[in-house]
Amino acid sequence: MTNEAFTHLVDAHYAALYRFALSLARNSTDACDLVQQTFYIWATKGEALRDGTKAKSWLFTTLYREFLRGRRRDARATSLEDLPPGEKDIAAEEVDRVAKLDAATVMTALQSVDEVFRAPLTLFYLEELSYIEIADALEVPIGTVMSRLSRGKAQLRAALVAAERGSGENGKVVAFPANKEAKRA
Amino acid sequence: MNNEEAKFRLRAYRPGGADAGDPALSEALEQAKRDPALGAWFEREQAHGRAVAQKLAAVQPPAGLREAILAGARASKPKEPAARPRWRSPLWLMAAAAVLMLGSVLTWWKAPVAGATLDEFAVNFVARGFVLQKHSADLGALRSWLTERQGPLPEALPAKFAELRALGCRTLDFRGREVSLVCFERGGKEYHVFVGRRSDFGDGAGPDAAAGPRAYPKTGLVAATWSDARHRYVLVSDADLATVRGVL
Repeated sequence: MTNEAFTHLVDAHYAALYRFALSLARNSTDACDLVQQTFYIWATKGEALRDGTKAKSWLFTTLYREFLRGRRRDARATSLEDLPPGEKDIAAEEVDRVAKLDAATVMTALQSVDEVFRAPLTLFYLEELSYIEIADALEVPIGTVMSRLSRGKAQLRAALVAAERGSGENGKVVAFPANKEAKRA
Repeated sequence: MNNEEAKFRLRAYRPGGADAGDPALSEALEQAKRDPALGAWFEREQAHGRAVAQKLAAVQPPAGLREAILAGARASKPKEPAARPRWRSPLWLMAAAAVLMLGSVLTWWKAPVAGATLDEFAVNFVARGFVLQKHSADLGALRSWLTERQGPLPEALPAKFAELRALGCRTLDFRGREVSLVCFERGGKEYHVFVGRRSDFGDGAGPDAAAGPRAYPKTGLVAATWSDARHRYVLVSDADLATVRGVL
């Protein structure tokens, strides 16, 4: 791949990859490391992927694998005890709730969603990949992606309610690291 | 397709409309156009999705990240790709990918759930995705719901199931036999218990007496089977082998 083509690839995808990484890693420094590592792997091994149309999926898949490989299994085990049913219907006021919140708060709420749901949910909202491509990227069945999207949305809505009430310190919504760029949005 | 099944699929429809041509979603979309209640729900769901997507898109990478990526890549000296034969041109590959994707989606959408035995069927049923007909964390309520529909009722589940949280249940048909499905969760992992009447499985279409847990690598799922005096059970989970073993 030429330098020009590589630059084009970076420009096309690094921002979305950063948002995905930020939702997974939950801090900007680790998210940047993940994005850089992903492109480094592309630069050193990506040439093996001869089908350029799959570059986007490859990048998201690689970033997710690097995240899984590099993270420590923390003691903060996921708990779904207060998880509402995934199929609960959305209320009209929930749309207004999101509109009132700033980008950083919505990202913080997204980061509080259990990891198993967070990865497909973030990819869904990034709108870069279809649910079929998400299934491919995360290496899970299509039906599992649909199920996790459904349940993840329910968790996100609960987190957004908590965020709106300013209950970010109650342990359910994690602290969002300083991200001046995002807060300006 | 009932409205709950339509909602299950439409929740995977991206808010920007990028999935408008997806054949697996088109039937649900048509149903949303015909049914005012479903249509109103879908509008709210899409509006909510658009709002979240807009907020997410407003999160900007830190200054300098792009330059750091490019500098790091230059240091790795990427090579020029070799010339490709014509059949590997992007246009041909895109067309082939589109045909394959369309074919796989249609196959997934239309094909009945495969499985010669209840355990095979159960794994494929979970892998394909399904909708619960009754939502409740109260096992008594689930039992009442299944009783009303004369679905097979589990006599007793392994003691460790007391530590799981019930999600809901449904009934289904496996090759003409009634089967109940009761779903649980713990720690982000789901546990689906299929229950069939032992008398219905005298012809070898039921699982063996006690087996598993076994991994089904193609689906990423694990299944275990057991029986009691009146019923045969299949547990399917997305947890790993050791975790599933721990609840049995």
